[in-house]
Amino acid sequence: MNYTVINRDVQVGDIYLTAVTSSSILLIGDADIINLASAFDTPPESLFVGPFVPLTPK
Amino acid sequence: MKRLSIVQQLNSKTVIISSVLQIGDSREIISRSKVLAVQRQYELFLGSEGEGTFPIFTKPIQKLDINAEAIRINRLNESPIISVRSIYVIAASTSAVIHIGSTSTINGETRIKHIRQLAENYSPPSPALSAPQPTIRITKDE
Repeated sequence: MNYTVINRDVQVGDIYLTAVTSSSILLIGDADIINLASAFDTPPESLFVGPFVPLTPK
Repeated sequence: MKRLSIVQQLNSKTVIISSVLQIGDSREIISRSKVLAVQRQYELFLGSEGEGTFPIFTKPIQKLDINAEAIRINRLNESPIISVRSIYVIAASTSAVIHIGSTSTINGETRIKHIRQLAENYSPPSPALSAPQPTIRITKDE
């Protein structure tokens, strides 16, 4: 597969960001390969109502 | 050839938890973080917690498998410059990357497990005695 990119003039003014989090990226430049992943686990079972017991993996 | 990045001003307050703030070119960035976020209604730490492994920390994450050699990329840099006047980023956290300059490979992975524990018979303070507060009710199906 052939893929052609023409990079013309890029001029950006001001970038205003609150946060970059969880495998995110802010890139001013070129890159060849970017591979980012993030996994969240917040199922309903992660909410316990009752006595405070130690955490047990399951 | 890669382009030149010009940033006149960068203002960043916090870079934490396996995050990278890179000024200049790089070749490879690999950032990983695992987070076990436990929230209890009362301040309580039972000790030696979080030592067991939850599946989320070990399960392989499927990644897009691309044969980079099968794709011919032709870059025509008509302008060799990427110019930015100013960047303001308050925070970078959990394997985030702020990169001014070019790179080849970036590989990031974050795994987050949330656990919340609430007391069974918690009675909120009487509204007559305290200032008005927004109420949050969490119900759980048995």
